[in-house]
Amino acid sequence: MPSSDPLAPKEGALFRKILKCYEMKQYKNGLKLAKQILANPKYTEHGETLAMKGLTLNGLGRREEAYKYVRLGLRNDLRSHVCWHVYGLLQRSDKKYDEAIKCYRNALKWEKDNLQILKDLSLLQIQMRDLEGYKETRHHLFTLRPSQHASWIGFAMSYHLLGDYEMANNILETFSQSQTSIEAHDYRHSELLLYQSQILIESSHLQQALEHLKKYESQIVDKLAVRETMGDLYIKLQQPEKAVPIFDALIRRNPENVLYYEQYLIARQVSEASEKVALFREFQAKYPRALCPRRLPLNIATGDAFREVTDEYLRRGLRKGIPPLFVNVRALHQQVDKAKTIEALALQYFENLTRSGHFSREDADAGAPVEPASALVWTALFLAQHYDYMRDTDRALECINVAIDHTPTLIELLITKGRIFKHAGDAVEAYIWLDEAQSMDTADRYINSKCAKYMLRANMIQEAEEICAKFTREGVSAMDNLNEMQCMWFQTECALAYQRMGRWGEALKKCHEVDRHFAEIIEDQFDFHTYCMRKMTLRAYVGLLRLEDVLRRHPFYFKAAKCAIEVYIRLYDKPLKSEATIEEIDIENLPPSELKKLRSKQRKAKKKAELESAQAAQAQVKREQHQKSKQQATQETDPDAPQLDELVPEKLERTDEPLEKAIEFLKPLQQLAKDRIETHLLAFEVYYRKNKPLLMLQSIRRARAINSAHPELHSCIVRFMKALKADSDQRRCNAHVQQVLDKANQELIGTKTPQQLNDEFIAKNNASILHLYEGARGLYELDASKKDAAINLITSFDLSKLRLEEAIKIYMALRDGDVFGECEAKAAAYKQACHNRFQYARIFRNVEELEAQLQEKVAAKLRAEQEQQLNHLDVSESAGMADAAF
Amino acid sequence: MTRSSIELGDVTPHNIKQLKKLNTVVFPVSYNDKFYVDVLEAGELAKLAYYNDIVVGAVCCRIDSTENQRRLYIMTLGCLSPYRRLGIGTVMFEHILNYAENDGNFDSIFLHVQINNNGAIEFYKKFGFEIVDTKEQYYKRIEPADAHVLQKTLRRKNTPPNSHHQNHHLTNGAVNEKKERRT
Ligand SMILES: CC(C)(COP(=O)(O)OP(=O)(O)OC[C@H]1O[C@@H](n2cnc3c(N)ncnc32)[C@H](O)[C@@H]1OP(=O)(O)O)[C@@H](O)C(=O)NCCC(=O)NCCS
Repeated sequence: MPSSDPLAPKEGALFRKILKCYEMKQYKNGLKLAKQILANPKYTEHGETLAMKGLTLNGLGRREEAYKYVRLGLRNDLRSHVCWHVYGLLQRSDKKYDEAIKCYRNALKWEKDNLQILKDLSLLQIQMRDLEGYKETRHHLFTLRPSQHASWIGFAMSYHLLGDYEMANNILETFSQSQTSIEAHDYRHSELLLYQSQILIESSHLQQALEHLKKYESQIVDKLAVRETMGDLYIKLQQPEKAVPIFDALIRRNPENVLYYEQYLIARQVSEASEKVALFREFQAKYPRALCPRRLPLNIATGDAFREVTDEYLRRGLRKGIPPLFVNVRALHQQVDKAKTIEALALQYFENLTRSGHFSREDADAGAPVEPASALVWTALFLAQHYDYMRDTDRALECINVAIDHTPTLIELLITKGRIFKHAGDAVEAYIWLDEAQSMDTADRYINSKCAKYMLRANMIQEAEEICAKFTREGVSAMDNLNEMQCMWFQTECALAYQRMGRWGEALKKCHEVDRHFAEIIEDQFDFHTYCMRKMTLRAYVGLLRLEDVLRRHPFYFKAAKCAIEVYIRLYDKPLKSEATIEEIDIENLPPSELKKLRSKQRKAKKKAELESAQAAQAQVKREQHQKSKQQATQETDPDAPQLDELVPEKLERTDEPLEKAIEFLKPLQQLAKDRIETHLLAFEVYYRKNKPLLMLQSIRRARAINSAHPELHSCIVRFMKALKADSDQRRCNAHVQQVLDKANQELIGTKTPQQLNDEFIAKNNASILHLYEGARGLYELDASKKDAAINLITSFDLSKLRLEEAIKIYMALRDGDVFGECEAKAAAYKQACHNRFQYARIFRNVEELEAQLQEKVAAKLRAEQEQQLNHLDVSESAGMADAAF
Repeated sequence: MTRSSIELGDVTPHNIKQLKKLNTVVFPVSYNDKFYVDVLEAGELAKLAYYNDIVVGAVCCRIDSTENQRRLYIMTLGCLSPYRRLGIGTVMFEHILNYAENDGNFDSIFLHVQINNNGAIEFYKKFGFEIVDTKEQYYKRIEPADAHVLQKTLRRKNTPPNSHHQNHHLTNGAVNEKKERRT
């Protein structure tokens, strides 16, 4: 390795040993060797040695020293590619990829054909999606090593990723032509051929792709991919008859692949529902054990034909006792007539099973054998789920209770009972049933997770953690282990529970944890850049790259991000008081009794806080120990994990720039979840508070494009108008901006005043409560004196037409007083009215009533225990049989 | 009749609450914690019965060494009412009988039954049980309080120290007959 500051042969040899040691992760030895060189007075300042010393220190996790020595080394030898390369590697391990790229480029200035540096550079470029740069580097590598396979592949891929299919295909074609001897079952060659066909397809060269596949079919190992792709191509190339036998064979191979059936139907060119159902009947006969050909016709058939296929499908499921039977047909409920047919069938089964053990009167009359004894309980469960879906809580409960009386040991019943209560708005009763279900089979992880989720819905975070602990690793707190395992549903549910409880910092911590998982998943692709190239699994690799590009589109991210944005907005609206000011609540103005209460409350709070902080300290110690042992374990293997800042709830909730933080979560949504209207509604809330009219406008426009009738959009427009007015009253903005805004104004409401707009909105949408709610908000927003009218507008809405979620939304707005100002009495009246309508919903019930209920439960449990005790006495007294009971 | 499956499974700490639930609804008496602790140690003497993968029955026995005999005592053997007369009780009983016969060192199997429990009495009579005693006021909190003692005498393979000699040939014959009937 040429150097601008060469070492003498002896030291040169030592230096090469340092490099070896670094590769072998023998960092300690490396340091000793570096010391030997640096001990020589001639080389105390030797740049490359100092840099390598730094890099080695980094391997030992001594980051700060690492930076010090690497920088020192570089300063001493700015013309050394080694120093630059080392600096790049260090930055890379610190995830500062942009910086690392710059270093590699500097290194290449001094050693432009260094393969290692070029390869390292290309990895960073693809990781950062610098596709142009990647192409150049791959080109360079290609010219340096034209004989290597990887050079060709990487070169072709860089064009593919840039969308230059022509070039990519040409490179691959030339390459495969140059391949002389191909061994049978050469997997890598086979993957390459399939990759080429993918490129052809993506560039719409379908005919060419088909010919390519036909030509090389014998060399391709992944036969399934060939068949699937060919079948698809025949359809797209208008030769469906050739696709028929292909999909027929594919179905034979796997009769549970929905896609095959869809393709088959297209290939057969059938359009009539009856024809399609007839085809499915053929498959049913051919593959009697397959589920797909039985379930799919339910989507297609209508009327009597639907009734017939559904009848068969349901009977089969109830006979066998297939737990997810209802879930399998739930989607059909979106069609009212189908839902009705399903209900009628289930009721018929229930009636006849109860009477004679048959599914129908006809079966009974024909003397058919009776159905299994379990069919009745499955039918009752199905009906309960059906009514629950219809939000008919009373009938759902009636059915599930019948089922539980019939077979109290069937755990699915308890889960469903809990779910009914959840949907009816009683999260506590819901979790109690899930807990019961969980206790009946503590080895079932699904029920365990469900139970934890329901506990979180009831804001019982600690209990949920304890339940999860049954399945997390021992010796670590469940919460930490769940974080390590990237158990995002749990963390998001935690965040939402904390949000409901107003523990903003804790909620944010959970949201950030989820965000970090996504960052980590993106980080993790680094390993695949080299791996996939080597294994030539290029189709999968390209798929991975594309997935990572849109990773934060995932609903898990959306949920957590939405929560975080809402919390940050709330923290902006009502910043937390600093610890000191909390103390200073208007004590003087309190009556003595209240003061006493307050004092005792404060004392309790303090005690609790002390206890909590002691627990937290303990947990911290534990965490650190765990962290240490983890570090020790990973030390040698992974020096590249930079320490992230610890997420401290108290700090998170006292941020100085909540809106900026919100925007950090918002940006990925705007980019990747732009088809969801909530994204733009959230964006509006943020920009409204930042008083950014252009961005408000942008959010409104985007939301309108998705659904111009969305109720919340109206409130955005009203507030936008209001903000514009306030703005123009104060100061004139830039003429261009003003022009845009004026135009928008025109477009959004024409010449109407905001009041007119609002009145029209109310008049037009008086059948929809959610619209009325937004209209009422506008009414109050534009003229606070219309408060009563605004509130009446929504509270007078026919409650029987209200859904539970809607009622809750309105009640909370009234209760919290932050939408229409203080209105306690109205809120109380509304609560009572809602309670009558939604009797199970907890939120509308009195605290006293709930407490009484709880006490009754505790008492009942106690009674049951005493009873048992008594029975026990009975038994042991009796007839000399110590524990013989019956 | 559609084919339904009947299978037996172990009682474990994970599913013991299903056993409790079952016993609570099947029997008018409830059992104390010790009962369930012991059941976990009982091995083949405690089993859950599954009908189409649902727990619908259970049997719990223990070995009784009172009265100078070694007897198998059936503490509970029951089945949820919608699942009766489907052969589930038979499967559970035969499992127990099999256990006792394979062991070969039991004098008898016995149990207590409330005197008005005709269904259970019929059931056990079918397997060769006889009423050998009636205990008055056996139960304290349920009516009627009297209990029959049902017993089925077994033949011991090995001669116990204080029992008279038994015909070896016959014993084997009985076991074989049992096996044939089951297949
Ligand atoms: C006793 C009990 C376990 C029987 O269980 P089961 O699963 O219904 O029994 P089986 O289906 O295997 O019945 C086998 C045979 O016993 C007889 N039998 C069972 N129950 C009967 C009843 N109620 N009346 C008359 N005969 C009966 C029948 O001959 C039956 O054969 P068949 O159905 O072909 O006529 C069940 O009735 C039960 O759980 N009862 C409540 C608990 C109890 O009393 N346990 C006994 C004390 S430990």
